[in-house]
Formats: sequence, C-alpha cells, structure tokens
Amino acid sequence: MNKLLSRFPRENGFEITLAGFALLYLLLFAGLPLLYNIVLSFQQVDLMEPATLLRPFAGLANYRDVFSRPEAGQVLSNTLQFVGLSLLFQVVIGFLLAMLFLQDFPLATFMRGLFLAGWIMPGLVVGVIWKLLFAGDYGVLNHVLTQMGILHSKIFWLSDPQWSLYAVIIANVWLGVPFNMLLLSVGLAAIPADLYEAAELDGANAWQRFWGITLPMMKSTLGAVVSLGAIMTMQQFDLLAALTQGGPANSSQVAQYWSWQLSLQTFEVSAGSAVATLMMVLVLIVAVIYVRSTRNERMV
Amino acid sequence: MKRYVLMVIALIVTAVYLFPLYWMYITVFKSAAEMFQFPPTFWPQQAESHLRQVFEERNMARFLWNSLLIACGTTGVTLLVGTGAAYALAQVQNRWTSAAIFAVLVLQALPSSLMVTPIFTAFKGLGLLETPRFAVVIAQITKTLPFYIVLCRASFVQVPRELRDAALVDGASPMRAFFGVILPLAVNGILVSAILVFLQSFGEYVYARSLILDDQYQTATVGLSAFVGATKTDWIGIMTYSAIFVTPILIAFMLLQRKIVAGLTAGALK
Repeated sequence: MNKLLSRFPRENGFEITLAGFALLYLLLFAGLPLLYNIVLSFQQVDLMEPATLLRPFAGLANYRDVFSRPEAGQVLSNTLQFVGLSLLFQVVIGFLLAMLFLQDFPLATFMRGLFLAGWIMPGLVVGVIWKLLFAGDYGVLNHVLTQMGILHSKIFWLSDPQWSLYAVIIANVWLGVPFNMLLLSVGLAAIPADLYEAAELDGANAWQRFWGITLPMMKSTLGAVVSLGAIMTMQQFDLLAALTQGGPANSSQVAQYWSWQLSLQTFEVSAGSAVATLMMVLVLIVAVIYVRSTRNERMV
Repeated sequence: MKRYVLMVIALIVTAVYLFPLYWMYITVFKSAAEMFQFPPTFWPQQAESHLRQVFEERNMARFLWNSLLIACGTTGVTLLVGTGAAYALAQVQNRWTSAAIFAVLVLQALPSSLMVTPIFTAFKGLGLLETPRFAVVIAQITKTLPFYIVLCRASFVQVPRELRDAALVDGASPMRAFFGVILPLAVNGILVSAILVFLQSFGEYVYARSLILDDQYQTATVGLSAFVGATKTDWIGIMTYSAIFVTPILIAFMLLQRKIVAGLTAGALK
C-alpha cells in the first residue's frame, strides 16, 4: 500500500485523499453490487433462507430459465423497439427544436429553458399525467387526434396490447426531448458561423448547407447524444410503473422492468439477477462508447 | 418580421410541449362531473379545488417529510464526499485520475432498476432494511455521486490553476488553498449541482418502492403510485396530489433555470 501511495506525486496527497472517499464509496455500494449481481445470477437464491454469500451453484440454469419463459421473446423485441424508437424520435425532434431555438427571435433562450421543466419533473409524476392524457374514454389525446382527423375512433392506449408499448414510448420521448435539444443546441452553437457564410457565398442553399456543414460538424455531438439517450432509455422505470406496469399481457414489458418484477414482486431473485446481468452488460457497453466518444474532445 | 413569425412558431411549439403540465393544473380545478366529459373541457367550468382535503386524506405531510429527509440525506452526503472528489479529479491529471473519471462516468450509467436486485438482496442479508430510509439514501447516493462529480468537476476545471499554485507559493497548505481560494470560486457550480441532486432524490422512485416495506416510511412518489393503484378514476385527487408534489420543484426550477441550463451543458459535453 505504501509503495502504491509513493507512486503519486507527494504534493497531491490531499487531493488523492479527497478522491479516495468518493471512489471507495462507489466501489463499496456500486462496484460490489455489480459483482454480487453476477454472482447471484449463477446461484439458486431463496430469500426465505438466512442470507449467506455461498448459495447452491446453479450454473447457467437461471439464464436458461429466463430464456425459456414464454414472454422472453416479446421482452427482447419490446426492449429493442423501446430503445430504438425512443432514440429516433428524441433525437429528430430534439434536433429540430434545437435548430428552431438557435434562430434569433425574442424570448428564444427563455422558451428553450422552459422545455427543461419536463426534464426536472419526477418521472413517476410525468407517467401519471400521461396516464390521464391517454385515457381511452375521456382522454384529451383521443379528443385532439379525432378533431384533427388523424383518428376515427378512440384508441385505448394503455389497455390495448397493440398500442401500450407505443404509449410508453410517446411519454418517454416527451421526457427525453428537452435534454436532447439542450445538448444538440450546444453542439450547433459551436459550429463557426463563417462556414455558413462561405457556403452561402458559394451559392449553397439551406438544404445543402444542412447536409454539407451542419450534419458533418454535429457528428461527435450526435454520437454523445445518441449514447446518452440510449442509457437514459434503458434506465427508464418510473414511466413504465406509472403507465402500464409492463402489461397488458407483457405487451409493453421491457427488460429493466421485467428484471425488477421478477426480483421484487415475485421474488425470483435468480431469474431477476440473470436478466439484470444481461441488461447491465448492454448498458456498460453503451456507456463505454459514450465516454470514449466524448473523451476525444475532452481536455484531460 | 421574420423574427416574430419564428417567435409565434416557437410559442406554439412550447405550448404544445408544456400541455401535459397545463392539463395537470386545470384538472385540479375541475368538478367530478366535468372530469369525465367527452369532449373534455379545456378550462374548468365551475372551478373548485380539494387541495387541503387531498393533502390530509392521502397523508401527504408524512410522505413529503420522508421524501424530504431522503433528499436531504442524499444531497448532504453527496456534497460532502463528491465536492472534494470533483476538485481532485479536475486538479490532478494523470493515468490514475483518468481511470477514475472513466469509472465514475460508466457507473453513472447503471440503471437503478437493475442495481436494485443485488442491493435489495445484500441489504436484506445485512439487516439494512430495518432502517429503510437510510437504506434508500445509501443506494441513491451511488446514483447521485457520479452525476454530481461529473457536473461539479466541470466548474472546478474553469477555476484557473494558477490561483492554487499562487496560494501554495504563498505558503498555504493544499487544504487551505482548496477551502480558502478554490471552493469560493466554484460555489455557483456546486450549488446548482447540489440542487439538481436534491430534486432528483426528492422524486426518486425505484429504491423507495423496493427497499421501504413499511408504509410509515414511504416517500411521496410511492404514495402517489399507491393512490393511482387504489382509485384508478379519482383523477382530480391524483392530479391534486401531483400538483402539490411538483409545484415546489417547478418553482425551484423556474428560479434557477438559467444556471441549471448552463451547468448541465458544461457537465455533459465539455
């Protein structure tokens, strides 16, 4: 230990101690649970028995059990759709809004700031409000869509298995748009204005300027936004809890909610931890991509 | 002229986006008969409200108190442990701190809904579920600490290095340089990050729902979801509950909007 410490420059001893507390905390309460989860997924866990670290070894039985369940295929496809569609709409809408609010008009910054009200709200409350908006018989969304001629009959957004997943996605897009817009605005604002001026002099129209300058210059920001959006979507729990609880008949079930239900509602911790381990691997891969993509511009 | 056309478009877009919040607030003032009308009314016909009744019947004082305790505990520890770490990771730049920043950023990504399985199992074994609010604070910090360190580090990076060096040359210890010179300069960033941590913990749901088994210690989010589960149709009550719960959050946000926007963009991209 002394040998390790002496490798640090002496004058940074105070700073190292400061960082040490936080890292130790994270190691204890985030790092260890991460490992413990992997251990649990290979064990036969019975919560009724007194807690021990050594439980009967189960090999891959938990993973086999999870995949052999009838809902496994649906959960997989729902999770992919949930992440994919949420990302697509969050980024596209966020991009359009970022470009709108970058124009010069009165109150632009103020209005852009108002969007973050959606982001600051507790996810559960957002879910509950959307549940009211989605109501089949008296919901305002059905009313507005019929008025606009988009719908001809009411949709039972939350109780119709055909629609439930998309309802959750719509609410999740609403929640994710402000953050996407904000980060994309920062990227857009950083593009030098003279690039556009030069292109305009060369006779490029707005469309060509967008494809020729804006998109290529936004590549690294878009990379960061997409991976951050994927992480936040894979973290989404509160909306699911408030809106559909994975139902009806698992039609809106996604992996992170399924894992929680298995562990904490039916107390099948073995199965729950197996799903959690698989999902965590995915989250960690995206997280590493995110960190590395932002690292290139970072002044570290 | 073009500026005003753009402004009108932006106003419409903002209004559409904020419509769910508007809907929550006007539902609070609707009467029971009006609530289930179709087509729905966009402005309450005979405004009435049940703020006090919902607050008392749903035991909101106790729920909000528990949420407040958990949010304060989480924010306090996060501030205490995280500020120094954010400073250290901004100040010292070598292989070790790069690795530490990498670890912190990656840990930030772990979803609570997945982490709760091992945490629940371990806490149950360790007997930590006997003190449920404390257990939630411990678990929630693993989420807020990385977030706080990342945000705060950005504001420490902006403090010129020369200031610390000058203090050291003048004979101050590293500790005095930190508390006397650097901390006061970064206090804005620290406050904004702390408020974001507080608001996040005040609305936390996964850990409270999973680790608190006794209703007496339950938080406002779980109280709300229990309310929704119990009635399903008392939307006026549910929206009243929601409005009482989120209005302080929205006011805090409106007051600090500018600073929050600046702090967030600095932390996430730079």
